[in-house]
Amino acid sequence: MLLEIIKFEVFYRLKRPETYLFFGVLFLFSIVGVDFVFQGVEIGMVQKNAPLVIAKTMGAITGIFMIMASMIMGVPILRDFQHQTEPLLFSTTLTKRDYIFGRFLGSFMILLFVFSGVLFGMILGSQMPWHKANEMQVFKIVSYTKPFAIIVLPSLFFGACLFFVTGMLSKKLLVVYTQGIVLFVVFMTTKAIKNEYIQAILDPFSLTTLTKFTENWSVFEKNTFQISMANEVLYNKLFWILLGLIVLFIGYKKFSFNTYFKKSKSTKNDGSNLNTVSIVDKITIPRFSIDYNFKTQIIQFFELSKFYTKQLLKENSFWGIVICGIIIIIINFVNLGTVYGVDSYPETYFIVGELQETSFYFFIIILIFYSGELIWKEQNLKFNLIYDATSISDFNRIVSKFIALNLIYIVLLFSLILSGILFQITCGYYHFEISVYFSGFFLEIFPFLILYTFVAFFFQSISNHKFIGVLFFILFFIVDVGLEVVGFKHSFYNFGGKSLDTYSEMNGYGHFLKPYLFIKIYWFLFGLILLIISSLLSLRGTENSLLKRIKSIKKSISKPVKISLISLVFLFLSLGIFIFYNTNIINEYWTKNEQIAYRVSYEKTLKIFEYINQPKIIDVNLNLDLFPSKRAYKVDGFYILKNTSDSIINEIHLQQKIASHIKLEKVTFENGAIKNDNYKKFHYTIYQLNKNLQPGDSIKMSFIQSYFPKGFEDENFNTVIVNNGTFFNNQEFPTLGYNKKYELKDKDERIKYNLQPRLNKANITDKNELLNARSGGDANGINLEMIIGTSSNQTAITSGNLLRKWSANNRNYFHYKTLKPIINFYAIVSGKYQFKKDIWQSKKDLSKPVSLAIYHHPKHNYNTDRMLKSMKTSLDYFSKNFSEYQYQQLEIMEFPRYADFAQSFPNAIPFSESMGFVLDIDDEKDVDMVFYITAHEIAHQWFGMQVEAANVQGKNFILETLAQYAALMVFKNTYSEKKVKQFLDFQKELYLKNVKKSKTVEPTLALVENQDNVYYNKGVLAMYIFQQKVGEKKVNLALQNFLKDWNSIDGIKKQQTKRYATSSDLLEYFRAVTPKEAQPLIKTFFESNEELPEF
Amino acid sequence: MDKLIISNLSKTYDNGIKALQNVSLEISTGMFGLLGPNGAGKSTLMRTLATLQDADEGSIKLGNVDVTNQKNEIRKVLGYLPQQFGVYPKISAEMLLNHLAVLKGIVNKKERKNLIESLLHKVNLYNARKQNLGGFSGGMKQRFGIAQALLNNPKLLIVDEPTAGLDPKERNRFYNLLSEIGENTIVILSTHIVDDVKELCTNMAIIDKGIVVLKGNPLELINNLEGKIYKKTIQKEELEQYQKEYTIINQKLFLGKPMIHILSKKKPENGFISMKSGLESVYFSKIKN
Repeated sequence: MLLEIIKFEVFYRLKRPETYLFFGVLFLFSIVGVDFVFQGVEIGMVQKNAPLVIAKTMGAITGIFMIMASMIMGVPILRDFQHQTEPLLFSTTLTKRDYIFGRFLGSFMILLFVFSGVLFGMILGSQMPWHKANEMQVFKIVSYTKPFAIIVLPSLFFGACLFFVTGMLSKKLLVVYTQGIVLFVVFMTTKAIKNEYIQAILDPFSLTTLTKFTENWSVFEKNTFQISMANEVLYNKLFWILLGLIVLFIGYKKFSFNTYFKKSKSTKNDGSNLNTVSIVDKITIPRFSIDYNFKTQIIQFFELSKFYTKQLLKENSFWGIVICGIIIIIINFVNLGTVYGVDSYPETYFIVGELQETSFYFFIIILIFYSGELIWKEQNLKFNLIYDATSISDFNRIVSKFIALNLIYIVLLFSLILSGILFQITCGYYHFEISVYFSGFFLEIFPFLILYTFVAFFFQSISNHKFIGVLFFILFFIVDVGLEVVGFKHSFYNFGGKSLDTYSEMNGYGHFLKPYLFIKIYWFLFGLILLIISSLLSLRGTENSLLKRIKSIKKSISKPVKISLISLVFLFLSLGIFIFYNTNIINEYWTKNEQIAYRVSYEKTLKIFEYINQPKIIDVNLNLDLFPSKRAYKVDGFYILKNTSDSIINEIHLQQKIASHIKLEKVTFENGAIKNDNYKKFHYTIYQLNKNLQPGDSIKMSFIQSYFPKGFEDENFNTVIVNNGTFFNNQEFPTLGYNKKYELKDKDERIKYNLQPRLNKANITDKNELLNARSGGDANGINLEMIIGTSSNQTAITSGNLLRKWSANNRNYFHYKTLKPIINFYAIVSGKYQFKKDIWQSKKDLSKPVSLAIYHHPKHNYNTDRMLKSMKTSLDYFSKNFSEYQYQQLEIMEFPRYADFAQSFPNAIPFSESMGFVLDIDDEKDVDMVFYITAHEIAHQWFGMQVEAANVQGKNFILETLAQYAALMVFKNTYSEKKVKQFLDFQKELYLKNVKKSKTVEPTLALVENQDNVYYNKGVLAMYIFQQKVGEKKVNLALQNFLKDWNSIDGIKKQQTKRYATSSDLLEYFRAVTPKEAQPLIKTFFESNEELPEF
Repeated sequence: MDKLIISNLSKTYDNGIKALQNVSLEISTGMFGLLGPNGAGKSTLMRTLATLQDADEGSIKLGNVDVTNQKNEIRKVLGYLPQQFGVYPKISAEMLLNHLAVLKGIVNKKERKNLIESLLHKVNLYNARKQNLGGFSGGMKQRFGIAQALLNNPKLLIVDEPTAGLDPKERNRFYNLLSEIGENTIVILSTHIVDDVKELCTNMAIIDKGIVVLKGNPLELINNLEGKIYKKTIQKEELEQYQKEYTIINQKLFLGKPMIHILSKKKPENGFISMKSGLESVYFSKIKN
């Protein structure tokens, strides 16, 4: 009998189209599985078909498509109840055991068949032409079959048990639909467990398990070792299989084979009373009137929306999803806006960001399932014939349901806001910014939900089954995302447009809002059109065929609907044209391929000019007018260019910044020059000087440059010139010669276009780059004088002494001038600032006091005292141990969180909003990262401003590692040893985490290129241990000497060699102070890849 | 009062079944019975009348309104009780009626409330109005069904197999209600129970395999057969013989032995007894098994 039941189940399923549909979806998805799952994940040198990668991909795909398992395993028993065949079955000689296990095993076989699509899909996927040869290894079938057996099968078994039992006991289809999500919730919950081992055991999809399992594997091992049933993997799988068996057992016990007969009928009251029969005849139906007018429609619309909203709120499953959501949100709330392990204050925008991220998945689920549920509500209840025969208009039928779902979103969004506020209260934080909450949810999330609900309704309306509607929707989603990945990402045709850019407390949504709203309205109109079409095509009556429904539109469309449809199409097209005009006509829109082609062509055309002899900029004098509200500027000024070489220069190569709406005009040279416009495409102009520039001679070059953006763009918004918090550097202004930053960086694309491999940093012996401190270095040191005008409510800051400030024409002006030459790297900052000022006096009597200032957003004064303390302590330590501070002021300026860094410029340190201004530092448990980062940036006033490093390998060892060391020494002198250790532990963790992701062999510190985990994290560890062994004083002495000999102003070595310092130079100074027995340490720490000793 | 005129209606399903073939009927106010075996095309006709599906050919008109092309006009005056229907299990009769009243365009709250109250009285569900529909018995559900069909005071009421699953008492009550409504409404009642039609309808049609095989007034139709029906109890083995000789319109068991009814213009010999003609005889005389 058991066999019969299994056979029946299997044959029944094999006749069902969805079996093949599921298989097909999994198969197709798995072809791109690895690329999808590992998209954006750095797997370093691990190959894309390494057993580990395959195993993880299989685990992830199983997790993503668990819902299919639920749809397969949840229905077999349910089906009998739905078709009401269970009394027939149960009254036969069939035993419970045969029935349940027969159905279970039959369905499980089908499940295995469906999920074998993953195996075959991935095998086929590995043969696809888009993989690069170096990312793949020789195909091994066992690399696929083994993970499938070890990872996928047990997961499926557990899922099968769980879904089968819940479907069987609940007898509700919606439960079947949602339980896949519940398992996902479990997965998410395990992510919040701190203990990695327990997390590895409990992860239902074994992703963490695999990470833990292979934790100590080398790259070679990861590429070659097969995943085996041992350790964590074994326990994880045992745990879930056992749990599955338990669930199955409980389900088996609980399921009553006589369910049908036991079903209690609650019809105690028949509701009738025979005595009243005679009365019945006497009742007259009261008169009433029905006006089928517009007003009626409106009232119907409101009443129905209310009705459906209530219905949704009555769904248990809905509350199930909501409760899961709340659990996840609570788990994820724990850490907010973490910077180097320190949490931020629960500022509203952090809370909003966090809530957006976690609630998103749940909104999508609610969207997909309840749009189907609503559209098919009457059908499911078999109430549709009555419903369809009422006189409600086609439009109202759909729209009222649409509104109901949106009302549900609103209810949920409000509860999110409420929970956010509650969280803030529990943290003792009371600056509730309701407007930030509202914009975060109703401006960012809600439009997205509305738009995709339109789509979901459309697909549900045109399909004949909820299933198909959901699948269509998911397919649409995938295609939509796919188009974006392939490069079709213009908001004009990418459904829904892009999400709103970062919110900053300084700049709000800034200029992102306007284009965002236009595009959302554009798609909203499209959505309305879809909604009307949905209402016309939705199933009404028993005519299933879509074709027939399309044909009958002509009959069912009413005049007002027709008119609205036409006007909507007209509005949609007009707005489309308007958007297109803005993004593609008055602004330039570049597809990814166009951008690549341009970069290739730039390099191929102009590379010949790299390193041609050019003069150096020695004076910069600018008159800069900023117009923050227009996000525009105009600059009028001159450079003095000096021929510092031994040969005559007769042409000047000027590179204007390549960006839209920048206009460089009136470039004039003393004595005149002839303009060569051959490279206009690249904004690269060669000026043939009328009079040759002799060695040692200078020439004045004047220019006017303006930037006035027009309309709006689709992406790549300029985020440096903004309404409040403008921050840009001199790269904005004309530069001399070929500019390497325009080169194509992607390694594979370069090969495709036959370009030479691009080094991250030139070789340490590269003759040309030894003469540069920065790429395309066009100056060795400049005098800067600048007058900045800005709006009347803003303060503008750049390097140099503030000579004068005044107001005129309702604008503020600031005149800055440097007293000593600075490096050719300066920032311009302007914003509505509050400031905190102080004075620092060097211990040496003769030196002038240094004025200290922190310019910050009025609300962000949490940590200004820590910054100020760090400024003073750092200046004390550095001037005592290294050399005098070279400027008369030191300023920190806050800028919006479009970028997450702080950066040092001569006497000025722009500091991102997100980098410490809102950190909530608990001195008990946290490391004072604000203090540390500030110290690090101040250290750059020495390492970067006083001594510059040659633009070759090891440059960042000098600049960043030394700044790390210097900051750590200040930190060590201020904070306890425990804190230092806590800091170093964290650095070590960061370093090791990134080692795993690294795609290349790790360089030594002395030859480090752009590997920030090496020069920041390993660097600080190495230097700390080095000073422990050699002594802080001695290390400082070495640095003091290094600064003295190599500083850019009067360093003897610098002047002798005419080049910049390298790491080899630095190491000489280290050797000089290191006792003989410790000498080998230098090699170990800085010139090898050996593991560092414990600190 | 407007008449419902069905002309030359045909419908063939995708699987080739001819559900309606050239059906023409003229139906005026009063109860109209549509009789036929299961699968005869009754429900197809009813659903077509209820705007739920389209015929391939032919037209249906209620007065000046064309049912196929002006669906929503018909829906305004239509009451429909499908053969099978479900309800929202978790809401009360009163609430679902309210919902349906809104769907039917009765938007004045007070009027709606009064209307629903009196309809609940009328179908004898007033005491159960707060009860969730999930707990309703078959009879109660059916009465709820008729209440909802009457919500918009329909000119055309279509009831598809309404008495299936009702006990005799409930069925009677149901008929009383229908015949009252039939006084000023076109009521089309489809059924395969001959008695239903006999008791209620002033006009009727018999439909078989999609074809209208007979239409008229039930009494007249019965009278037409008066004196032409004979019955006889026979042995099982004899059945074949009789089938060859007579037009057998019905055969059933009587005290365990087959009894046949035959249609014959003159009285046959060998033991046939004349019997009173009834609608059942009419029905069986037209339906080919």
